[in-house]
This record gives sequence, structure tokens and C-alpha cells, in this order.
Amino acid sequence: MKEIVILSGKGGVGKSTIAASLGAIFSEKYKVVLADTDVDAPNLALFFDAIQKTSRDISTSEKAFINYEMCIGCLKCVDVCKFSSMVSFDKKPAVISYSCEGCGACTIVCPEDAIEIKTVVNGKIAISSTNHILMVSGELSIGESSSGRLVDEVRKTARQEAEKLNADLILTDGPPGIGCPVISSIKGSSYIIAVTEPTPAALNGLKRLFKVVGYFRIPLGIIINKSDMYTKSRQEIKAFAKKSKITVLSEIPYDLSVPKAISMAMPVVTACPDAQSSFAIKKLVNKLSGIIKKLS
Amino acid sequence: MRKSVLEKDVISQLHQKSIEIPVIGITGGKGGVGKSTTAVNIAEAFLQTGHKVSLVDADVDSPDDHTLLNIPLNNPRDVAITQPLFNDSNCTRCRKCVDVCRINALFQPKNSIPILISDCNGCEACFLVCPSDAIERGEKIVGKTYMTEMGNLRLFTGELIPGVEESAFVVNALKDRAFNEVDDSDIIIIDTSPGTHCNVINALRGSDEAYAVTEPTPLGVHDLELILKLLRILQIKANIILNRSDLPGVKGKMRSIAKAYNAEISSEIPMDDLLVKSYVEGAPVIRMYPEAKSSKEIRKLSQKIAARHLQ
Repeated sequence: MKEIVILSGKGGVGKSTIAASLGAIFSEKYKVVLADTDVDAPNLALFFDAIQKTSRDISTSEKAFINYEMCIGCLKCVDVCKFSSMVSFDKKPAVISYSCEGCGACTIVCPEDAIEIKTVVNGKIAISSTNHILMVSGELSIGESSSGRLVDEVRKTARQEAEKLNADLILTDGPPGIGCPVISSIKGSSYIIAVTEPTPAALNGLKRLFKVVGYFRIPLGIIINKSDMYTKSRQEIKAFAKKSKITVLSEIPYDLSVPKAISMAMPVVTACPDAQSSFAIKKLVNKLSGIIKKLS
Repeated sequence: MRKSVLEKDVISQLHQKSIEIPVIGITGGKGGVGKSTTAVNIAEAFLQTGHKVSLVDADVDSPDDHTLLNIPLNNPRDVAITQPLFNDSNCTRCRKCVDVCRINALFQPKNSIPILISDCNGCEACFLVCPSDAIERGEKIVGKTYMTEMGNLRLFTGELIPGVEESAFVVNALKDRAFNEVDDSDIIIIDTSPGTHCNVINALRGSDEAYAVTEPTPLGVHDLELILKLLRILQIKANIILNRSDLPGVKGKMRSIAKAYNAEISSEIPMDDLLVKSYVEGAPVIRMYPEAKSSKEIRKLSQKIAARHLQ
């Protein structure tokens, strides 16, 4: 089974738009499971009229809890917290749960054993499906942390579902940025698609993402979305790709069918199959099919 | 009962700050909706009215404000976290440090000192349990902060080192530095990363109000609701900036969400080719094309912010 993950560094360059269209076409050619690891803002399911089959709570986060009946107010826990997550009021400590990492340093210094580290629910994983697409998406609870570990769970669930279906491919729509959920999305995948657009900011994001992917030695290809937006940056991206020996998989021109399809909550290849962008995506699918075959 | 009282106290503690300058957060659940573009343009609008501005680029994964302003990053400073270094002669091989590490970053081969096998988060729990003073403080650089001064603008930028996971330290170091070096700025504008995770929360700490940038598409509206939920938890007054307001979409749904969360739609910025042009050229649209329709909207918004905070 092969796992392709779509990332970008910079947000809003078209990851989900492209993932939805690729998912729609791939699901006709292969047995495929779609996964959404942008757990802060999971959008992939919005493109499909999918029915939710299951949703379960996930607890991959740990937090400190204080037993106030035992607390003597020595505030040693406040001094020792490296995450500024233990604060004091009226000589009693309180946990700022949003930034608590559950490291347990406070439990070590507490002379009364009044602090306990407990697992908390920090998100959920939903499995939904249409007639021929199965989708696994993760959603972080608002204000929660440990998104990297939630991403690990989403990918584990996607693999289990893929095995049940005997699927050939998992296509994952990843998060923006380069932080922990991105690293969790990269680990163990077979191929990374980096979506970018020809602007200086998106090229910055691409370069930073390329560095991270480099640590994992996973092959990577670039899609230049909205390719006709700005010639100078487009040339800079191509020069960067050439210098770094990265394949440019596709250049997708900007056309109005894309926002139109998004407003209809449909993949552009379904909503406007004859659009220029749909044509480019179909060509991309052929190229990717060749790459998938060669992946070990 | 105790818990609810505490929650309120915790939130007020979260927002506590040493400065009295107004702090405005520019955020938004979804990526690429125009957070940074809006932030640099609001900053530029305040500069044009003769104010001193501190702009804080807290999207440490992918900081771009300096690119949009076409200015360099100056005065770099490392952000480091503590890493354990093991002293062979002091170590008694008791394994207490290995057992206490909740992220399983330590491993102790037989008869050897412990070794770090995965990313350490710098919590220092191992230091606390070591009975023989065998752990020394090492350092791992996880990011950098910068401060660039250009006329009346101070741009503070945080940058995570690619491949490193501890971004919260970088955001916190950036906020500390900005709040310390803000000097005589009239206003602080904070540009957050997309999402609703801990980095967004840390970036928004101490904001007097926040503006959630979004677009009227189903995706934009979905993610807007997430960020409005977060702002409600953090008890920060929420406003909405509707970018690319004439994109085909679901404006009605957006209005009802705005109403449900008691958030005002403060500005509607239409699609504007001149804005795109200025974006790729590295200049705020309100400087490059002051008469553009987006420039007019942004100026109006800045006047609104000024009326609320700079009187």
C-alpha cells in the first residue's frame, strides 16, 4: 500500500482543492482511502457529499490536574514548569491547560503528591463515505494541543481502513506549515506532493517544507498551482526545483472554475470537467499513476 | 464551582501583560485567506497616519511579513531549549530519568549512560529526578527571533528551524521579545499562523481584540467557525474581515455564524488585481496603489481600529 501526502508550507495555496480532485479521479482507477490530517481545519470532507459512518473521541494529550484538598500552596510546581503553564492565584497553583504538555515535572516536585497527569480527549476521528470513496478525518478539539499525535492516530486509522478494503493507495490532505502535525504527516509516507503558487511567500514556504522532507528522505514532487499568477516567482520556483532536483509534476493555471467549484463544495474535476484546471489535473493523474507504480 | 471560577482566572492570567499599548490579533482558521496581507496593510495604514507600529509575525512555521514588506530580517537571536547531557562518571545507571520521561525520548543501553533517542521537549523532568547530579544542561536551538526597525515600524519575526517540533517555545520567545522591545509604539499588531492550535493561542495571548480573516467560501466559513469558537474560549472580542468578499460562496451562512458568535463583520475587502500585484511585488497595496478599492477598505478598517484603541 502506498501513501501519498499533500503538503505546502504556506497555507491556502490549494492543497484541499487538489486533494479533492485527485481523490475523485483516483477513486475511479484504484481502491483508495482519503485522509485529512489538517486537524486544525479539516476541509476535505466538505468537497464530497459523504455520510459519516463513525466518529470517536481520541485522547492523545496529557495534562496536569491539581487536587486542591491536598495542595499546601508551596508553589514549587509553578517554579519548575518550563511551559509557563502553571500559574498562581491567592497562593494556590492553577494549570493553564491550553499550553500544559503533561511532562510531569510538577508532579516530581510536589511534596504532597497533589498533582496527577491524566489523559484528556483532544480530538476526534471521523470515518465517512460516499458510494465509492472512504474518508478518514481528524479534528482537534478547540484549544487543545498534541496535534502531531492526533495526526498519528488519523494515519493509523486510515491504514486500518485501507487494509480492510484491500486498498492500493492512501491519499492524505495535510496541514499547512512545517511543525509537528506536518512532521507526523510526513513520517512513513511513500511520496510527498508539495503544492505551491508563484508568489514570493509561497516559495518561502516551499523551501522550508523541502528542508523538513529532506530529513526523512522521502521523494517529493511539486505542483505549481495558479501557475499564471506571477511569471517572476514561477521562474524562481522552477529554478529552485531544478537546482534541488525536484520534479515539477504539474502547472495548474488559474481559472474561475476553481472558486466556482469550491463554492459548490465539489472537486473542480467533477463540477467543471472541461475547465483548463481540470484538464491539467487529469494530466497530473496520469503522471502520478506512473510514479505510484514505481514506488517501493 | 471552583473550576469555573478558576477558568476565568486562568484566562485573565493568560492575557496578563506588562505593557499598556493596544494589542490587535490578526488570525483566521484557514490558511491563505489573507492574514499576513491584511496585517501588513493595517500596519502600513497606521504608519501613514504618523503612528509608531510594532508588527509581530508569529506564524513561525512560515513567516512572510518581511517578504510582503520586502525588508530584511535583522538582529537575530537564538531560541534554545534545554537538553540533558549525561556525565558518565556521576551517572549511577539508576534509570530514574528514563522512567520519568513521558515522551520516551531517553533510552538506556545496558550498563551505559542514557542516550537521547528522539526529540526532547526541554521539560527538564529528568534533571529533577537525577539523584547523583549526572545531568548537565545542554542546549538545542529550535528557532530564531528577529527585530527589524524601519522608520516608525518595528517588525518582530519568529522562525522555527525546519525539522524541529517545539514551535511553542519560538512563539513564546517572540512574544516576550516583542513586548520587551516594543519601545514607544502606539499599537502592536500580531499576525498568527493558521489553525486553532497552541501556537495560535500563544500568539493571541494578551490581545485586546482579534480580527479573524476569512473568505466567503464553504471552506472559509467552516474554518471561521472554529476560530470564533477559540476566541470565545479565550474571551477575546472577535471581529471578522471578509476577504475576497465577492468570491462566489455562502455569505448568508457566514452572517448567521457571525451573529451566533456575536462577531462584527468589520470589513469586506473585494477581490482586487492591484492587491495581488502588490502582494507579489513585496509592497503593501495601500502604499503601492493607495486608490485601489482594497486600499480604501483597509484604510477604513484601520480608522475603525484607531477609533477604538488610539483615543
